[in-house]
Amino acid sequence: MSELAVPHRSGASQEHVNFRVLVVDDDPDMAGFLAHILKDEGLRAETLSDGETALVNILASPPDLILLDVMMPGLDGFELCSTLKQDDATALIPVVLITSLDDHESRVRGIAAGADDFLTKPVKREELLARVRTLRRLHETRRELESRHLAAEIQRKEAIRGAFARYVSPRLADRIIHELGEGGGPFKGQARRSEVVAMFVDLRGFTRLTELSDVGAVVEMLNEYFSVLTDAAYQHDGTIFNMAGDSLLIGFNVPFPQQDAAVQAYRAAIDMVDQFMPVSAHWKRRFGLDTGIGIGICKGDAIFGNIGSPHYMNFTIIGNPVNTAARLVQMAAAGEVLVCNAVYDAIRELVPAGAVRPRGEVSLRGKSEPVSVFNVSAGG
Amino acid sequence: MPENRYTVTVAKDLEDLIPVFIRNRQKEVESLRAALNAADFEQLRLLGHRMKGVGSSYGFMHVSAIGKQIEEGARSADRSTIEGCIADYATYLRKITIVYE
Repeated sequence: MSELAVPHRSGASQEHVNFRVLVVDDDPDMAGFLAHILKDEGLRAETLSDGETALVNILASPPDLILLDVMMPGLDGFELCSTLKQDDATALIPVVLITSLDDHESRVRGIAAGADDFLTKPVKREELLARVRTLRRLHETRRELESRHLAAEIQRKEAIRGAFARYVSPRLADRIIHELGEGGGPFKGQARRSEVVAMFVDLRGFTRLTELSDVGAVVEMLNEYFSVLTDAAYQHDGTIFNMAGDSLLIGFNVPFPQQDAAVQAYRAAIDMVDQFMPVSAHWKRRFGLDTGIGIGICKGDAIFGNIGSPHYMNFTIIGNPVNTAARLVQMAAAGEVLVCNAVYDAIRELVPAGAVRPRGEVSLRGKSEPVSVFNVSAGG
Repeated sequence: MPENRYTVTVAKDLEDLIPVFIRNRQKEVESLRAALNAADFEQLRLLGHRMKGVGSSYGFMHVSAIGKQIEEGARSADRSTIEGCIADYATYLRKITIVYE
């Protein structure tokens, strides 16, 4: 058995040492010779003596370049090269096949196997280094482009996440980004019709609040109020479509389907009422204001998408459930959650006994059938 | 030292590798003899092919030249040519002088 020649370590410059070359050759003298030259050039060079071990090693820890002898027992250079080039994880690792000068058949087979370059035996130091330098430059250029592309993609997704985080829960923002794929923009397609649960929330006592002389305090209170609302909305995967004055429009089952949208809307509403109570009590003590939130929820078909002009556009929902929810919130007193019969049917089993009060029927403009209304927070 | 077929000039930076290289060549002579005794011409062809590739890479042109003859001899099962090559190879390795530059 041949001994393995152990190349000496030269004074390799650290800047190159991160480029890792794997030499696969069953002749230890040839492998040692190639590794020696590469190390002299300041590269990391490792040697392996058979194709099977090399394949396992490459898959576990892909090198930056492979120098591969074609004639090896077992898995030969052609088979190993072909296997690597068919695997997405290793296809881009440059492979240099080492062939004999007069072996044209090997060159043809090497091209078919996907080899990136060839090196002829006997190996000339200058030729080896020239080929390695060229492939290294290409490899590094590709890596740089990949990292730039990756950085740009991360930046784009973070910008989208930042924009969407204002409208949807972090979970929904992640889902939107995940479904974007590469290069696309969110919701660029046509507006869609879908069943949605629309919720309007209003602040009772808002007019008196705005009359406070301390503008900073007004803004601070509104921020506190909206924080309670948005936290509860996001907690239940609601999407905020509009914020105007003290009013908030939230959609459920939109833009992504939710199996239990009405239930989530109901729970969000109860959370809003509960969590606003201590805020309201604090405002009462500090400013003497009587405040509370009223909520209207309705369910039905609506259109959602980017609606507006090229100069000003909103991602919004329009349709009957939105109009009805707007009408219900007008009717809701502080602490009341009014729902239409379609929502009530979906949440009936969740509403505690004694917490529901029918509020009669409400007629809407342009609608022949009146809508039955229920206050589902009566016991709260 | 006069230049002849037994004097080989090798790059200075390869000096550390040469003792192992020479020992492997001496083992190679034994492998060649064993293959010839067994009339294993495929093994002889592979050994010749390997000598052809590795010899000149290190600067040992004569190793490559002998390897080429053995590879060709093995293809035609030319026993006497191979025998002569192995004897020549053994002599070469005994008489060789290496100069590092």
